[in-house]
Amino acid sequence: MSLDSARQAFLAEVAELLQSMEDALLALEDDPEDAESLNAVFRAMHTIKGTGGVFGYDSIVDFTHTVETLMDRVRSGQVPLTRPLIATLFECRDHTARLVDTIVAASTPDEPLDPELARAGEALLARLGHSGGAGVSPESASGSAADANAASPSASDTKYLPVVSDLWMITLRFKRDTFRDGIDPLSFLRYLGSLGELVHVTTQLDPEALREDGFDAESCYLEFGLGFRGEVDKPTIAGVFEFADQDCEIRILEPDTAQSKYLDLLAAVPDDQVGWIGDLLLRIGALTQGELDRALETQAAESSDVGEGESETRKRRVGEILVEQGSIKPAVVEQAARTQEAARTRRQEEAHFIRVDAQRLGHLIDLIGELVTSSAAIRVLVKRAGVEDMNEVIDGVEYLVSEIRDNALQLRMVPIGDSLSRFKRVVRDTCRELGKEIELVITGGETELDKTVVEKMIDPLTHLIRNAVDHGIETPEVRRSRGKPAQGRVHINAYHDSGHIVVEIADDGAGLDAERIRAKAEAAGLVKPDDVLTREETLRLIFAPGLSTKEQATNLSGRGVGMDVVRRNIEALRGTVELDSRLGEGTQVTIVLPLTLAIIDGFLVGAGADQYVIPLSQVAECVEMGAASGVKRHGEHYINLRGEVLPFIRLTELFENADPERRAGRRESLVVVRFGHHKMGLVVDTLLGELQTVIKPLGKVFERLRGVAGATILGTGDIALILDVAELAAIAEGQRAVAGRRLAGA
Amino acid sequence: MGELVLSNRASAATHTETSDEVTQYLTFAVSDERLAMSIDAVKEIIETPAVTRVPMTPDYIRGVINLRGSVVPVIDLGARLGRGPIILTKRSCIVLVEVHVGDEAHVLGMLVDEVKNILEIAAEDIKPPPEFGSEIRTDFIEAMGRVDDVFVIILSVDHVLSMQELAALRRLSQETASGGSDGES
Repeated sequence: MSLDSARQAFLAEVAELLQSMEDALLALEDDPEDAESLNAVFRAMHTIKGTGGVFGYDSIVDFTHTVETLMDRVRSGQVPLTRPLIATLFECRDHTARLVDTIVAASTPDEPLDPELARAGEALLARLGHSGGAGVSPESASGSAADANAASPSASDTKYLPVVSDLWMITLRFKRDTFRDGIDPLSFLRYLGSLGELVHVTTQLDPEALREDGFDAESCYLEFGLGFRGEVDKPTIAGVFEFADQDCEIRILEPDTAQSKYLDLLAAVPDDQVGWIGDLLLRIGALTQGELDRALETQAAESSDVGEGESETRKRRVGEILVEQGSIKPAVVEQAARTQEAARTRRQEEAHFIRVDAQRLGHLIDLIGELVTSSAAIRVLVKRAGVEDMNEVIDGVEYLVSEIRDNALQLRMVPIGDSLSRFKRVVRDTCRELGKEIELVITGGETELDKTVVEKMIDPLTHLIRNAVDHGIETPEVRRSRGKPAQGRVHINAYHDSGHIVVEIADDGAGLDAERIRAKAEAAGLVKPDDVLTREETLRLIFAPGLSTKEQATNLSGRGVGMDVVRRNIEALRGTVELDSRLGEGTQVTIVLPLTLAIIDGFLVGAGADQYVIPLSQVAECVEMGAASGVKRHGEHYINLRGEVLPFIRLTELFENADPERRAGRRESLVVVRFGHHKMGLVVDTLLGELQTVIKPLGKVFERLRGVAGATILGTGDIALILDVAELAAIAEGQRAVAGRRLAGA
Repeated sequence: MGELVLSNRASAATHTETSDEVTQYLTFAVSDERLAMSIDAVKEIIETPAVTRVPMTPDYIRGVINLRGSVVPVIDLGARLGRGPIILTKRSCIVLVEVHVGDEAHVLGMLVDEVKNILEIAAEDIKPPPEFGSEIRTDFIEAMGRVDDVFVIILSVDHVLSMQELAALRRLSQETASGGSDGES
């Protein structure tokens, strides 16, 4: 994504957020107590602040941060929301719009703000009662980060270019933890000195050491440039530094520097610039124009000697002639030839890919969805007409349709890693700002899922990673005092699990304090002091709106906005999010999402008068339900399935749609479904078999309906609802809890 | 339907001459009561196809239907107006209505006992709703229209089919919002 398109996206996002802020403010004029609208205003400011921060638009961050802080206090009831305050908030909204327009239009982010605009902003903030404002000023943090950027040029990379050709040139850049890992840089130099002669040694200090507050006496900031002469080969020298491998960047240049330089340069030539071998060598400076001309003349002269028809095969290569002339060493020509060859194959590989507009692909998949429904309709009609001969043809068509469907969906599958790598930058920048050391590890990046799902999960993932970096991982000092390595670790892991993709975000930070969450939740009125909650239930409270355990808000994230948004975003994708945390050890958030939003394989069942689809990937097995095999206790159903105790739900009971005409003695069936690590039984009246299911959204009316993921149109034209197994289990559990409480109360 | 519209246009022509501002209303019956709504919101009227029940929803949500490949929710107007669910007969119809929420348009079906005709009512014959004395929730009534000296209730589509209210799905969903995590409901 180019910066321009990123800015466009930012502008569009801001416009959307400000619109929702305006709507919310309008609603608040009618009802100042409306919590949802308060949240919306807060969220708008919070998100603009966050995204503005990514682009480095400090003045946007400063302004929105103040408004956000105020909104947080309004939300918690510390500041009353009066009509004049709402009016000022409207002005703040307009000011933000102007601010964003002006700043994004400017060529560089650091361009000084139009003084008039700045004054207007200050006046607004003053009216908001900024003087009493809470929160950290973001200037100090972001300012020093910018300084650091300017002060750490990569000059050292070019400083030790070899000058004397008979010396080995060795560059050593030790990492910060070298001393802490018990490594003494000097010992390597001494050992190297014993192998030959250290002609010269230059020592360089990393500029970061000179930064104010940046110097840590225990860290290593040293870099060495060595000139070494000795009768050794490269592996021997590399062996000297074997033990420092982890703690040091080592570069060794061979004495014949000119040659190796050419080879390096050849390897680095971009594919589209690889032309004739002669031009190639000329470009990198391995050859002069005169030498090349001479070689080409020789070639022309030789080929004119032989017959016309043979000229192509008999023609000697330019490379060979050049070596013969002594213009160039064979090794260089070989490398040039390899570069040429590699570029050719790469170009061929590229030709195998076609870039396609995502919209066209979406349209294709929609059409295939209709095709799936139509082919099911044909099947029904043929069955009704009783034309036996057509069955084979229909089977063939259905097989093809399902193949086409799978292939079409595959087209939209992308590896998740491409989108995850952007977080490296987020973590890096955040670390600088907060003075933390964090390593981001991504595994399972090759796991594929639907591009539309990827796009929609990026926002919640960003929230979670920011949370981990900002709230989870402690500062290096705190970590050391707790006996952990100074560098924290955030691990993103992705893998496939029964038709779903699982993404885990784990950190080894401070973890969540269940008691503090509990206290906060009680203060916010989410739970009553005498409610009994398990540890899991308490941790789950973090997903409730407006709950945060971080006492002090920061520039990046904070105040618990986010976790409820994360939950909502994930649930909108028919996914689930779970959280586990140990105080002092870390937090792990697990997101489970369906692989695709369009078409799934389903299993059709009948319950009462209706038909339902269970995602086939979740169906473990189907067994016949004996009349007496179920046990009911305290409103809970259990069955003994080959010695395993399995809870089950009777769909007709849960949905209250039992068919009165159904004969009482008829056998029911038990469909065993699995979700996450759980297993459950669904008791249905009839099993109707597998089918391809095109998921149709149920629409806004049913957006809060749980237990049903969507609908699909069957071959008969009837509609069957697609069940969400995990939610059904939660509903059944909820009913049991209600029943249990009634029992306990009685 | 075409014939119905034409004949009514003709009969209402007398009204047009007496007033400049005339609005067209679709009238229909629910539990033997004649109701009207502005024709602007009506997209089409269809015979009742098979309606698929959606579990764990209030009784005024009758279910969903397959409208040429898309899934459309159907509101039982009888239950919604507190007259009890509509019993399906040959005459029962679904009136498809477009409801706007923000920028999005949503199509909803309204199940009624019978669709009557299209009326034109002049602005002078539109009276404000009575403050009490009606069996129907007052905010559902937009106005009263006088037709041949009889008052017809003109329904407020925005309120009867309020997305916010329909989507609240009060009944089971509240009970099952376990763990207190659904604090906003």
